[in-house]
Formats: sequence, structure tokens, C-alpha cells
Amino acid sequence: MTTPRRAAVLGGNRIPFARQFGAYAEASNQDMLTAALEGLVARHGLAGERLGEVVAGAVIKHTRDFNLTREAVLGSSLAPTTPAYDVQQACGTGLEATILVANKIALGQADSGVAGGVDSASDAPIVVPERLRRKLLRLTRARTTAERAKAALAIRPTDLGIQVPGATEPRTGMTMGQHMAITAERWGITREAQDELALASHRNLAAAYERGFFDDLMTPYLGLTRDENLRPGTTPEKLASLRTVFGEGDTATMTAGNSTPLSDGASTVLLGSPEWAAEHGLAPLAWFVDGETAAVDHVSGDEGLLLAPAYAVPRLLARQGLTLQDFDYYEIHEAFASTVLTTLAAWEDPDFCRDRLGLDAPLGSIERDRLNVTGSSLAAGHPFAATGGRVVATLARLLHEKGAGSRGLVSVCAAGGQGVVAILEGA
Amino acid sequence: MSVATETLPALPSTGALLVRAALTARGRGGDTVPAVSVRVADVAVDRHRLAAYQRLTGFPVSDTLPHPYPWVLALPVQTALMVRPDFPLALPGLVHLSSRATGTRAVDAAEPLTLEVTAGDLRPHRRGRTVTTRVEASAGGETVWTCENVYLSRGPGEDAAPRDAVPDAPTGPPAARWRLPADLGRRYAAVSGDVNPIHLHPLTARPLGFPRPIAHGTWTWARTVAALGRVAAGAVTTHVRFTRPVPLPSTVELVRAGGDGLVTAALRSSRDPGGTHLVLTAER
Repeated sequence: MTTPRRAAVLGGNRIPFARQFGAYAEASNQDMLTAALEGLVARHGLAGERLGEVVAGAVIKHTRDFNLTREAVLGSSLAPTTPAYDVQQACGTGLEATILVANKIALGQADSGVAGGVDSASDAPIVVPERLRRKLLRLTRARTTAERAKAALAIRPTDLGIQVPGATEPRTGMTMGQHMAITAERWGITREAQDELALASHRNLAAAYERGFFDDLMTPYLGLTRDENLRPGTTPEKLASLRTVFGEGDTATMTAGNSTPLSDGASTVLLGSPEWAAEHGLAPLAWFVDGETAAVDHVSGDEGLLLAPAYAVPRLLARQGLTLQDFDYYEIHEAFASTVLTTLAAWEDPDFCRDRLGLDAPLGSIERDRLNVTGSSLAAGHPFAATGGRVVATLARLLHEKGAGSRGLVSVCAAGGQGVVAILEGA
Repeated sequence: MSVATETLPALPSTGALLVRAALTARGRGGDTVPAVSVRVADVAVDRHRLAAYQRLTGFPVSDTLPHPYPWVLALPVQTALMVRPDFPLALPGLVHLSSRATGTRAVDAAEPLTLEVTAGDLRPHRRGRTVTTRVEASAGGETVWTCENVYLSRGPGEDAAPRDAVPDAPTGPPAARWRLPADLGRRYAAVSGDVNPIHLHPLTARPLGFPRPIAHGTWTWARTVAALGRVAAGAVTTHVRFTRPVPLPSTVELVRAGGDGLVTAALRSSRDPGGTHLVLTAER
């Protein structure tokens, strides 16, 4: 066993994110991941290069895409001898992929790698209803004509139909938004605070584009040069005028403006050891310091579906000997504005920190002007598995601008009551 | 010989041109090709059609035009040239023998392309006469793609006519095996605009001498280029010879040989490995 070494984030590339049925309606997961990967390869001069590993995934994936990432590698200019594998941890996929690649580099099992993710809400696989599926399989198994006829006759017109996958939790039957509405109400998160966060997301993202922040983090795709969901001109009045879509009655606070839209897109991050980076003339943007995952029991209703990062972060801080205030930037994925606000409220709440996290004192509050400073998912959109790569590349660039030793915290909530968090340090 | 340029205001409709070609097929003749270029300026790429083409031919859906795509874009322009009253050969029944295309760089779908088609020489062939067309695509005044196509008009031939030297097809195990469905011709016609009846259906192919519809040569070209990946993209010259039609449906095998600078690929029948449908070289 070798002594762990540091893994560097060397760069990132994504395609602009599109709204569902928007500019990427015709593109498959493999098309988008290939485009994002090829842009990364071109920008860093990696054509023909054999990398240690490419790790990516998609949340909504067709069965034919079992080797999605490997197929994207074969469609790219990377050496075909570059291995790849798929991971899937819902919206945590991209960040989990980054942790996996960074760990292998740290252990000396790889010198370089790419982490990424992709999702399409437009090109989703269509599934036949379960009853029809079982009957069709029985028909396939039938050997004799009589068996075949019997199996075929069992299919009724009422069995026919298609199901488009949705963002519903299998065990609760509720969508993510419905879950979040319950949590937001429990924590008393106001509509005004959510709209304010959404407005900041759009303004920060627009400002980041204006100053060219994304110029070397993005490759145009299918005519898009900016995230399709970005509304630079949105106003508090416009956001306040939207009707609520999750929650019920007068207490509902969540709208299409303060919830992320279904989106299409892909992102990639290049990681490497310091030696590999030097050999390839690449300067580290940031160091990958540590990562942590957590899960909560959302099934019994004990905890909110999207609150697992609230548990993961204090464990990570304890391991690193850091406090919540020791960071220059916070990237908290905006699944919904209320997710971010609930997480921040939980860390400020003495009861939650004592009873749930087992801490003597609350983690405390953060300086809000360090949160999602170049926008986040509310403005950019959220192609589930692609968000982790977007955030890691963005934060690495921010930390590089800030200088060596600066620190950033990433927090991504995920379906199934899970959360993935990580710490990066400026290089 | 000076060549006059006729500029069309927009891409004509291939369907209407093919009807005109059918109606004016009889009575064409002569030994000269009109000294004219037909040109359409600043053609915008329709991204939906491009994506449909990319999916059907095996390219990733992306902003980069597949190497053979300008041929499809320029098809209405080439057809407009061939239906001119002074064009000596009848378009219905013309057989696409070969294409030699050179891309100078990757072309983005956002770049408007000026497409110009010029007719070249008439030459004797052992099975009739051939005509050459030269297609040129330019972006912002820069030539980005050129292609020389050879078409055969079947008729009385000259046994002494020089033969095109077709490179040997690679042998050995297949690199890929593709099952081409019966409706491939109709699907490719929809994305390419090449609605020649020999590709569409047994009922439309039979009167023209084909018991089954045959795959579009340009589909087999594109599918082969797509399979070769990055070695046949961007700045590359591909020279494709269509040696035998691919009946639909059928199963074909890709065989390839060579490496960095020069790749040779062929499509052969999976039932009859000696029967080569296409031989292609890709040179960088």
C-alpha cells in the first residue's frame, strides 16, 4: 500500500444545460456525454491519451446504455485503451464519481481520470406498464404454438400503454417536490426567502457568464452557448407572480421559479496526480481534500428526503478538524431553493444539531455572499448526474482565482434520502 | 473552357426536380456537358435533419457535420444541374460509382455553407458512359469540403475503356456486423431527400430492374465513415467505390485494415464474404 498523495482537479468541461424538450431534445445521454468529454479532451490536449479511468453515469438510463461511459470514451479522441465504468447515485452521481476518481489517484491506483455525469429528461426511455411487460416476457418464453397463442391472447387492449419515468420516490409514491414541500413547511421556510435565493442564482450565473468565467469550462452544443434556463432579466416581481406547484393550500411556497426545472446536459472533470499534471503541462486548479456521504430515513418520515447533506457535512468537518465557517465558498446544490434554506437553517438550529447531529453547539451560519457565487441549479438547470461535475469544476476555478489554500465546500442532495459532500482546496 | 455560374436563390426541392428528371429523361443525348456551375449561397443546416441523419448513419448527435454530410446538403443543387435541358444523361437510372471527398477541417452546423456543383467530363465506360460532378462547400469564402462523384449511365459500352483501379478489400474477420432493415431506404430517403425509387420499396425498385430495393450508396458510405470514428473526421480524404448494390434487407460486415495515416475499409455480404459492396480509403 502506498501513502496517499493529493489528487488535483485540473479542469472541467460541460455543455450548456438545456431545458427539457429544448435544444437537446434530439440528443441521447451518450451524445451529450461524448460532446462534454470531447471538449475536455480538446481543451487539455488529451487526444490519443490513455487515461487511468473515466467514471460517469446517468440517473435515467436506457438498458442499452449499460456501458454508457465506455461508449462515450470510444466516441471521443481519448485512446480506446482508456477504461471506463458507470456509477449511479441519483443527483449525487457526478460528485460521487469525482470522489471515486480522486481516491484512486490518491492511492496510486491511477494517475489520471475523468469524472462526469449526464442526464436527459427529454430522451428518456419509455417503459411499458408492468402487467404488459410480464405478459410479453411470458410470450417470449412460450415454446409451442399453443403456448404462444395462449400467452398472446392474455394481452388485453387495456394493458397497452407507455410509462415515462418520473421523479417519484419508489417507497413513498411522492415526488421530490412533494417531499420537499413537507420539509420546507416543517422548517417554516418562506416564499420570499426562496424567491430571493432563486433571484440570486440567476443574477450570479448571468454575471459569471458576463465576466467570461465559464469560457474555459464549457463547449457549445447544438447551438447553445449558455444555459437555456438562465433568465438574466428575472425580477422579484416575476418570481412572486408564479403560482405554487408543490405543497397545498395557503402554506404552499414552492413554485417553478424556486424549484429546478427538468433539464438535459453533461459535465466532466479532469483529475490527476501532481506528477501527471506536470508531465502534461497542466496546472492544478484545486486539490480534492475529502468526501463524505450520508443517508436519512425518509421512508418512515423521520427526516426530510433531501436533508442527508445536513448530516454528511458535520461528519466531514469533524474528520478534517474544520468548522462550517472555515470556507471561502459554499456550493450547495439548489434542488429547490427551500432545500438550501432548510439545510442552512438546520445547521443554525441548536435542537437539530444536538438531537440529530449529536453536537454540543450548532454548526452556525455561513456568510451568504459566499454561497453559490456563480449561480447554481435554479438558474443553470439540473440534469441530475451532470450537476456534480458542474459544481466541482466551478468551485475548482473559483478557488484557483482565490488563491492557494482557499477552501470550498460542496453539498449535493440526492433521491433515496442520500447526500454527497466534499471539500476542495485552492491550488 | 470558361464555366458560367448559375446562382439559385435557395435550395430547390429535390422531389420536384426528380419529377422533372423523370419527365425529361427521354431524348437526352450529346457528347458535351454544360459548362456551368449551379450554386446556392449561405445554406443553413437544419439541425433536426442533421440529428436524424446522424442517428441513422451512426454518428453521435453533435454540432460537427459528418464527413459525407455536405453531399446530402448539396444533393438538390446537383440534381438541379442534372435536370438542365442541356445535360446529356438521363438522371433516372444513373448509378453512383464512386466519390472522393476531402474535408479541410471540421465544419460546425452553425456555419452557413455555400454549395456549388460543376459537371465534369463524359467518359466511356465498359457498361455505358460516366459523368463526373464536382461539389464544393465553402464557409465564409474558405473551401472546407470538395467531392468528385462519378455516375454511370448504363448503355452501349466500350470494352477498351480504362477501368478504375479499386483497392483490394481487406480480408479477415469482420470488425462489425450490421443488420440493415427493409425500410432503411425509406428512412434514409426521409433524412437525405434522395427519394430515388430504387431505394424505397420492392414495388418501386422492380420496374427499374432491382428485385429488391437497394441501400443508398451514400448511406453505406456514411455508416462506414461513422464506424471508422476519428480517423475519418475533420481534415481527411475518403475515396469510396460502390462496387455492388446492397439489397434490403440484408446483413453486411465491415472489414478494415491499416492504421494512422491510411485506413482501408470494405463492406461485404455476410452470406457471401467474397461479395464486396464498397471499398473505402480514408487518408489523413
